[in-house]
Amino acid sequence: MIENRPWLTVLSHIILLLGVCAVALPIWIALVASTHTPEAFVQGVIPLWFGDHGAETWGKVLFSAAGNGVDVPVWFMMMNSLIMALAIAFGKIAISIISAYAIVFFRFPMRSLCFWIIFMTLMLPVEVRIMPTYQVISDLSLLNSYTGLALPLIASATATFLFRQSFLTIPGELVEAARIDGAGPWRFFFDILLPMSRTNIAALFVILFIYGWNQYLWPLLITTDDAYFTLVMSIKRMVSVADGAIEWNSVMATTMLAMLPPVIVVVGMQKLFVKGLVDSEK
Amino acid sequence: MAEVILKEVGKTYPNGFNAIPAVDLHIADGEFIVLVGPSGCGKSTLLRMVAGLESITSGELTINGTVMNKKEPADRDIAMVFQNYALYPHMTVFNNMAYGLKNRGVDKATILKKVNSVGDMLGLEELLDRKPKQLSGGQRQRVAMGRAMVRDPQVFLFDEPLSNLDAKLRVQMRVEIRQLQRKLGTTTLYVTHDQVEAMTLADRLVVLNKGNAEQIGTPLELYERPATPFVAAFIGSPSMNLLDAKVADGVLSIGANIRLATDLSFNKNVVWGIRPEHLECLPESAPNEDADFILTVQAVESLGAETLIYGTLEGVETIVVVRLSGPHSPELGSQMKLKAPSAKWHLFDASTQQRL
Amino acid sequence: MNVTFPHRALPWLLLLPQLAVTAIFFLWPAEKAVEQAFYQEDAFGLSREFVGLENFIDLLTDPYYYESIVVTLIFSFSVAFLGIAVALALAIMANRVIKAQLFYQTLLIWPYAVAPALAGVIWWIMFDPSIGPVAQWLKFWGIQWNHYLNSTDAMILVVIAATWKQISYNFLFFLAGLQAVPKSLIEAAAIDGASPIKRFWTIVFPLLSPTTFFLLVVNLVYAFFDTFGIIDATTGGGPGQSTKIMVYKVFDDGFIGLDLGSSAAQSVILMGIVGIMTVIQFRFIERKVQY
Repeated sequence: MIENRPWLTVLSHIILLLGVCAVALPIWIALVASTHTPEAFVQGVIPLWFGDHGAETWGKVLFSAAGNGVDVPVWFMMMNSLIMALAIAFGKIAISIISAYAIVFFRFPMRSLCFWIIFMTLMLPVEVRIMPTYQVISDLSLLNSYTGLALPLIASATATFLFRQSFLTIPGELVEAARIDGAGPWRFFFDILLPMSRTNIAALFVILFIYGWNQYLWPLLITTDDAYFTLVMSIKRMVSVADGAIEWNSVMATTMLAMLPPVIVVVGMQKLFVKGLVDSEK
Repeated sequence: MAEVILKEVGKTYPNGFNAIPAVDLHIADGEFIVLVGPSGCGKSTLLRMVAGLESITSGELTINGTVMNKKEPADRDIAMVFQNYALYPHMTVFNNMAYGLKNRGVDKATILKKVNSVGDMLGLEELLDRKPKQLSGGQRQRVAMGRAMVRDPQVFLFDEPLSNLDAKLRVQMRVEIRQLQRKLGTTTLYVTHDQVEAMTLADRLVVLNKGNAEQIGTPLELYERPATPFVAAFIGSPSMNLLDAKVADGVLSIGANIRLATDLSFNKNVVWGIRPEHLECLPESAPNEDADFILTVQAVESLGAETLIYGTLEGVETIVVVRLSGPHSPELGSQMKLKAPSAKWHLFDASTQQRL
Repeated sequence: MNVTFPHRALPWLLLLPQLAVTAIFFLWPAEKAVEQAFYQEDAFGLSREFVGLENFIDLLTDPYYYESIVVTLIFSFSVAFLGIAVALALAIMANRVIKAQLFYQTLLIWPYAVAPALAGVIWWIMFDPSIGPVAQWLKFWGIQWNHYLNSTDAMILVVIAATWKQISYNFLFFLAGLQAVPKSLIEAAAIDGASPIKRFWTIVFPLLSPTTFFLLVVNLVYAFFDTFGIIDATTGGGPGQSTKIMVYKVFDDGFIGLDLGSSAAQSVILMGIVGIMTVIQFRFIERKVQY
């Protein structure tokens, strides 16, 4: 900054550290809670330091059963979450990139109508039309299936717009050069457009993976068979048991495990994440 | 052997705009043809019609006797160098050059041989593994040319390939393009708006104006015998002086006061032209009667080897330019006595715009 | 872009998957919702009767629905305001400490990845009246906390959980916005003798106003629609109606109360609201982007 005022810099660090602590505090408590026995909570407040039952609880929820009315282990639900998240992320990217390709690189009647139909999906989040969508899925007998978990969520206006924006910046000469080089629409797509969109695809993947992993209401509604339970929605089942009977240690261990994969993705691919977030909202 | 024939080739857009009425052009094998004209004259459109990137709505295009009107660009056996090079940003130089060959199913060994030999010819050996981002403007230009050459096409098409280079590099690449084309002997169609580039490169020039070929000819023909005032003004730098004049009874009169004797026998309104380098400056001591007209100096540009003098003639609004070799320094506002030898005159019919 | 491929059927083939999914899972349900909004259906779906606008009239005369609207507004604006204020403060600080910026950014952005439902549960345990350390600490200061019984407490809890999750998002956008402020402007103001605080309010903040407005809309949309998990996992809309935001009420009336007509009518109203917000958002974006 412009003037040299050490106290301002110190103040900045203090405020930032306070922010970091405030943001991290609940995670700390959750982590600590997961290392105590359920009895520790019956007696009163969560202790502020780790207990010695961490490995036991984490092992139990991860490999035998999450508990609190959920009979499948966390690793099993993790697989379901992973399948759903990957299906949603790849599905959204795949159908969006080809839609954007069609809209930008071809001229056909009703092109702008198609654009607006895709645009309209932005106005219809699943939470808003939850009842009828449930009925549609039930009519198509997709309840309790991976298809039912992922397919209704893969239409994406945001991803289509993002690809459209980046395609519009590709110079027309490049398309012409490819045509002269003997590349038809398919070759152009696979040899030129797809490799040129690598960064965008990766950035979008990070955002969409988190979106898919964190789906809550949808899996909660359409899965009654615990073979299809996803991790995030299972928390609701775990805290819905009778009052006072919640095994907070298992719940917290499951919560930590449920947030771990997307947090790792965000922190590990921070640069792509920031790009994806900022670009997809532009 | 590739002969390119345009027979009344024209283009009308769906909205009714007639960009190219009808162009006739016969390009001999190995010839270097430059399409030149101001921006918006249709030169790029015409080139892209030959390439197959724009449709031809009337007339017929043949390359080597085959009608090409409906063929895909890839099936015309042409190669094009674009203004912004259009290199594939994610591919190495090698792959950029090899892409067209791969798409045609050429085997790997041949691709390797061809790319390497073109790379050597253009001095790109060291750069084959780089991406376009890592290259300078001049190097990119070379890669774009290499990509065209590697395919060994019947026809090269260039769309203002030098306009993104700095002045020095442009001159250097100009010479190189000409040498390469001579060496390869490939029929070439080249678009530019720069008349110096056009004059130095072309075997023959096509001057386009509003989609019409105003004149087709060698650079010297165009310089010495421009067919219309448009060509006369476009070719040569600084531009030819063109003034409205009238020929009557053996006298050419410009404005109210200038009268030049002539042996022309017709009576007509004309456009009279003379190139700045063909005006002669008489010494100050010469008698006024020897001068054809008197120029009042308004601006002087000293370029060292030559001097450009801008001024006005009595009773004429148009600024007249005189080009003298060597340094001169006339006072602003002073008067110069000029002679315009009649052998160097260009005369055009004022109504038909045709050369007389 | 003028350069295109001359094909007629191919683009339709390319658009087919997206259009099919949109039609089956978006447009069809939306159409169903609109249709159901005009019918009264019994809970088993055996019979239904056309009732015209009655569902809407019932809704608009229902005090619970008004309460839900008020709850939604209080919740959304609290989340948006709090989230923006905290994130802006942190972003300004982070923009000052250039060397440690990435370090702080890393430690501040990860809550974005936490599912709303999980955020709700974590904050619930923090504030749980019997075991939560924060509730305990409040009791020490003489404040009785019980979000199971107290409406205000319940609202504060969901606001905190929702804000906590959204700070990272706002932070990133503010940081990007601050970095886009030309340094020469700040230097010119400094030469003109403006103090750092004055510089912020007279130069930086006005330049950030597009970002702030954009974030306001995005945060409101977030609080309206994406916080379902937080409400559902922590308070379940209670106690009473005190945290039953509109999106939650649609679900509650439809799936729990089995009042399909009313739920559908609420869906239609919400679609209208999302529509308006999307248009506002895009108006804002369109200035940068041309179709």
